[in-house]
Amino acid sequence: MSRSLTKLKKRLPGSRWLVIAVPYIWLLVFFAIPLAIAFKISFSQAAISMPPYTPVFNWVDGSLSLDINPKNYLYLVKDSLYVNAYLSSIKIAVVSTFLCLLIGYPMAYAIARMDPSTRNIALMMVILPSWTSFLIRIYAWIGILKNNGLLNNFLMWTGLTDQPLAIMHTPLAVYIGIVYAYLPFMILPLYANLVKLDLRLLEAASDLGARPWKAFLKITLPMSKAGIIAGSMLVMIPVVGEFVIPEMLGGPDTLMIGRILWQEFFNNRDWPVASAVSIVMLVILIVPIMIFHRAQAREMESKLV
Amino acid sequence: MNQVTQPAASPHAKPEKAKAENYVRIEGLRKEFDGFVAVDDVSFSIRKGEIFALLGASGCGKSTLLRMLAGFERPTRGAILLDGEDIVGMAPYERPINMMFQSYALFPHMTVEQNVAFGLVQDGMGKADVAARVDEMLGLVQMSKLAKRKPHQLSGGQQQRVALARSLAKSPKLLLLDEPMGALDKKLRSQMQIELVNIVERLGVTCVMVTHDQEEAMTMAHRIAVMDSGKILQIGTPDEIYEQPNCRFTAEFIGSVNLFDGKVEEDEKDYVTIRTPGLGAPIYVGHGITGFDGMKVAFAIRPEKLNISKEEPAQKYNKAQGVIEEIAYFGSHSVYHVRLPTGVKVLCNFVNMKRWASENFTWNDTVWLSWADNSGVVLTS
Repeated sequence: MSRSLTKLKKRLPGSRWLVIAVPYIWLLVFFAIPLAIAFKISFSQAAISMPPYTPVFNWVDGSLSLDINPKNYLYLVKDSLYVNAYLSSIKIAVVSTFLCLLIGYPMAYAIARMDPSTRNIALMMVILPSWTSFLIRIYAWIGILKNNGLLNNFLMWTGLTDQPLAIMHTPLAVYIGIVYAYLPFMILPLYANLVKLDLRLLEAASDLGARPWKAFLKITLPMSKAGIIAGSMLVMIPVVGEFVIPEMLGGPDTLMIGRILWQEFFNNRDWPVASAVSIVMLVILIVPIMIFHRAQAREMESKLV
Repeated sequence: MNQVTQPAASPHAKPEKAKAENYVRIEGLRKEFDGFVAVDDVSFSIRKGEIFALLGASGCGKSTLLRMLAGFERPTRGAILLDGEDIVGMAPYERPINMMFQSYALFPHMTVEQNVAFGLVQDGMGKADVAARVDEMLGLVQMSKLAKRKPHQLSGGQQQRVALARSLAKSPKLLLLDEPMGALDKKLRSQMQIELVNIVERLGVTCVMVTHDQEEAMTMAHRIAVMDSGKILQIGTPDEIYEQPNCRFTAEFIGSVNLFDGKVEEDEKDYVTIRTPGLGAPIYVGHGITGFDGMKVAFAIRPEKLNISKEEPAQKYNKAQGVIEEIAYFGSHSVYHVRLPTGVKVLCNFVNMKRWASENFTWNDTVWLSWADNSGVVLTS
């Protein structure tokens, strides 16, 4: 059986490549080529035409001439709006990642320590909200947070405040929305990591004189490092480019790069600047993506031994 | 090497001696899980410096008993006294007891050194003292060269050495070993058994081990407690347990045994005869028992206590003729399965003292089995 299989493999040297080719073609068509196009557009100039930018590659008299225009990138540095938007995006991403970790870690820990039967119910409760549209769930938060919304009505009914709290259209609303929407991305990798923890290690720590809190700090926490990194990156990377939540819950002063991108693209119809904005965002995100990748690779390695 | 010396008990001071006898005292210890009795009112004592084995099949309660000693399970009732102090109310991290876990439970994210140092650091020992103690412990288990390695870079035997060093580093009053050789292959096992005993004896640590492997218990332990369904059936030295089992379970659990059920026919002061349906003639036992005529008993005799011969032995009693049905050849000895005319199968060991001795007997040979008056044990329960 296995011999005939190896024979078959030898006869078809391309069969293995065929399997790998499918995802690679997918990535090429839907990731690499669009990225290359965006990269190209970022070096052109805005123009009132169809499409609304000047071509980078020109055929003049049968020879190729390049019309590279780095002005868009210079513009990003010159105008403080963009720098501030990048900084503010990163700040919001870092803070909300930290908040997600703070809330998500105890939740993941509790789920991992649950009875296997109740564990699945708890996991479902984490995942279930994402079965509804993201947009609708964020929209629902408007109903909760607005001045005469559920939260304020409740607070005034209990008498905790006599005036509605202005949460809507503030950074607080943006944080609430982001933490709510991205919490599952923190909980799931942390849970997957914590549930694998060999509980005898904690017994061993206790046996050697470590109180429960010490055992947590010395054993559980360092051993869940890969889960913390994975969860943090899964939250941080998309939040940097988040558009819907600041647009719907944030005020006009909530600067985020996703919103700038939208404005450049649709309001100003400046495709080259919009492309440059997105390319720079990608470059900024390479660092956390690399960290995530390395953590994943290390996790895989440790599984092999 | 700096050795940990235990204060020697003076032979004249009686209270000291009694204290050493009852170094660990377990009184009426019971553990129930949802109505299931895992450990059933167990009481016994462990001497100071002793290696004490809890031996039994899985589910007999030996691990639960060990976990109660470590503090991971809270007894339903009963007391555990360690060196005169009741430790039942203490959390695991407060007990002067350390455990070498089954498959070791080494911290995978720490080096060998850090693993051994863990308990010392928890006690707030100074850095220099920790380093010195770790060095000493790693020297003791011959792991100094691999101090910077992570556990997954070590072989099973090396991991066990680290686990032992870690559990001994705090000089515990009591060392617990949970299936200490369970994760090792057979060759390494017999080597590590002796090495572990040497280290433990050198340090004079009192030690309780749990195992399902009777060979391991007999090699390593000074005394063995045989457990079944939450109860201790017998406590004794390895040879006591083997040669003088007090019940059917122990006799059958330790080694192999031929059991003949029967009734006491003559109950005299210096001998007993037992009539059993398995044998044509009554069994003659050369010592008295506490029993009565007609009492139901079992006669247990180990296979190596039986003689096998082609010619009928000269003795009057304790012999039977049969046919060799199967032969298991082990090189050093052979085990013959002999079928008696009554249909009972008897095992008989034959040491192959001379070369090719195993060729004396072959399948379907008619042979005589015989045994001396005091070779067997009469079991009353």
